[in-house]
Amino acid sequence: MDPFSLLRGMLDTTEDAARALIGRERLRLAVTGLSRAGKTVFLTSLIANLLAAGRGARTLPALDAAVGGRIRRVALVPAGTETVPRFDPDAHLGALAADPPHWPERTEDFSTLAIAIDVERRTSLGGLLPDRRVTLELLDYPGEWLLDLPMLRQDYADWSAATLTRMRRGTRAEAAADFLAFIDALPADAAAQDALAKRGFTLYRDALRVCRDEHGLRFLQPGRFLNPGPRGEAPLLWFFPLPAAAQGGGLGALCARRYAAYLDDQRTAFLDPYFTRFHRQVVLVDVLGALHAGQEAFEDTAEALAAVAAVVSGGNWLERLLGAAPTRVAFAATKADHVPTRARDALAALLEHLALGARGRAEAAGAATSFHALAAIRCTEDAVATLEGQPFAAVRGILLNEGRGATIYPGEVPMKPPEPAFWQSGFFRMPEFRPPRLDPEGASGVPHLGMDGLLAWLLGDAL
Amino acid sequence: MSATPQPRVILEDPAPPTERLDFGWETAVAVVPPPARGWSSLGLAGAGLTVLVLGFALLEAGNFVAAQFARGDALGWISLAVAIAGFGLLFAAIGREVRGYLALGTVDRARAAHARGDVAALRVALRDWQARLPPERPRAEGLADMPIDAACALVEARTLAPIGRDAESLGRAAAMQAFAVTAISPSPGLDALVFAWRGIRLVRQVAALHGFRPGIAGTLTLLRRVAADAATVAATDVAVEAVLRGVLSSRIAEHVAGETAAGAVAARRMILLARAADEACRVLPRG
Repeated sequence: MDPFSLLRGMLDTTEDAARALIGRERLRLAVTGLSRAGKTVFLTSLIANLLAAGRGARTLPALDAAVGGRIRRVALVPAGTETVPRFDPDAHLGALAADPPHWPERTEDFSTLAIAIDVERRTSLGGLLPDRRVTLELLDYPGEWLLDLPMLRQDYADWSAATLTRMRRGTRAEAAADFLAFIDALPADAAAQDALAKRGFTLYRDALRVCRDEHGLRFLQPGRFLNPGPRGEAPLLWFFPLPAAAQGGGLGALCARRYAAYLDDQRTAFLDPYFTRFHRQVVLVDVLGALHAGQEAFEDTAEALAAVAAVVSGGNWLERLLGAAPTRVAFAATKADHVPTRARDALAALLEHLALGARGRAEAAGAATSFHALAAIRCTEDAVATLEGQPFAAVRGILLNEGRGATIYPGEVPMKPPEPAFWQSGFFRMPEFRPPRLDPEGASGVPHLGMDGLLAWLLGDAL
Repeated sequence: MSATPQPRVILEDPAPPTERLDFGWETAVAVVPPPARGWSSLGLAGAGLTVLVLGFALLEAGNFVAAQFARGDALGWISLAVAIAGFGLLFAAIGREVRGYLALGTVDRARAAHARGDVAALRVALRDWQARLPPERPRAEGLADMPIDAACALVEARTLAPIGRDAESLGRAAAMQAFAVTAISPSPGLDALVFAWRGIRLVRQVAALHGFRPGIAGTLTLLRRVAADAATVAATDVAVEAVLRGVLSSRIAEHVAGETAAGAVAARRMILLARAADEACRVLPRG
């Protein structure tokens, strides 16, 4: 921790203490999740259901029970920052409720939102004192960018070596065949030419896209190659991993320089303002998607989670002392409505195994951890599918594009990482479902599964 | 493991077209209204007493007027005129009390509509409240055509914030008077009396800023609400107050101003009272 970070940490800690003294706490909730884990939908549901709960609706019964029914009001308040776009829950909810409905597009940029929860005080004299106001600060961002975090601890040579080792393995090698052929053909003393850098970048980026979209892989760096954000593909991104032998030339030096500049840019714009200090963390994981994408994708997701957790949850002793490390980290398997009720416990148990590395990091940093299965917006109901003459628990929903009802048997959800025979079934792509009938104003929140249990554990003690 | 079927999608027949699943969520999570409490024993006793007093007074007056008519027409007509004038004034006063008391309900209705997100009811409550404001008070125009968030923000900026500032001014004026009176008054008993009278007047003045003309019942209700909000306002100021009192009252003010230090504290309470009264009368909760 550099002296400026230390000073800023001390100031933030003092501010937090002063806010707690006057009953105006601020709670920064880091919603972390790899791409397509459902962060935007999670935030939309969280906000809609909290606002409805503030109006007295019983949308979050477990949270209400955890805080003893003391929630009085919930309101959106201006976020502390003016330069970052505002997360627009109304627009997302409107799109989900529209006819035809739309799920949120891939998140391209940050957006923030602050939500104030007024709660009656716990003490017996609480009625005489003003309500406490806990302001929950939330951030939405492209999930791909999260994987830039582990890069902060690597220099270009280390990152290149680790990335190329991964790239030469399994389905990645097949997807990146053109890129690997390109770098293998480069002379050791390749000159620092932009045309070469751009060509390498394009091949590498295309390989990453194939890995993500066709093979369901998640440990793909750097994040802005897949999701360049509002600034587009600036020349800053024109770099790629090079073998150690090819790093000695001008092209190697150019890539190393751009790698450092890229990290510096991400650190300044994204990581330092939002990921250096928060109080609670929720890690969203599309466990079912990883399971259906095959063994390599499943293991890749676990590796990516552990790598991110090593940076995000693993505060050092000084950060813990300054309150800069999260005290509670909840892991949640999203899209739990894609499996029948009886399989949801298995989904949470499987997540526990999948996130073993991430959990270890969080607990070593002194944070409490828990595992949940949730659906931010419930889109299915339980059903029975008759397969080969036998009844199996399944789910029924309305397909997003076709508008037809469909019963989906999602396969067996093992409670621990499956044995090799399990992976014989191959790749299964879960169809997208239509959201249920929703009130576009969100006055009654949105139907969900398990959001209240997660929030009760994550925020209950702070309210 | 091999006995387990593969994941699959089983499509239903396309007809009849299915739009969306409906979990009946709105009904499941709907706000449960608190059970009606009905009349309290004290309320029943009060109502009974009022009926008895008014009823028998009317009957007595009727009997008396009838008896006077029996004695002579002139006496009868004079008695009837006196009875009508007396009861008319009495009922006019009661009517004014009831109107003043019910007007405070606008605040509750607006706040309840705001809390439960009932846009239509909030618009109606804001319109009613604006209609009741003193004519010289600036109003937010065109509320019906804008999103409710913007409407609330406009009411806050255009009307509530100036009212809040005026309430502060009234509080400061009352504080000056309370300070002056407590500094020169000969007895502590008189201090308390003056302070109480000035406090009630201040609360009514602030209510008038918000368009309310509370009578006795309205004032009592208002005072009860102010008492609740005063706890809020006072507790928010508790840290500042502690420092101010610690530094000023006990050390500097006590030596320099002697007994007037108590007056300074009383004056500060007037300012707090104005803020609490403003809080109690606000049609929208403070953001």
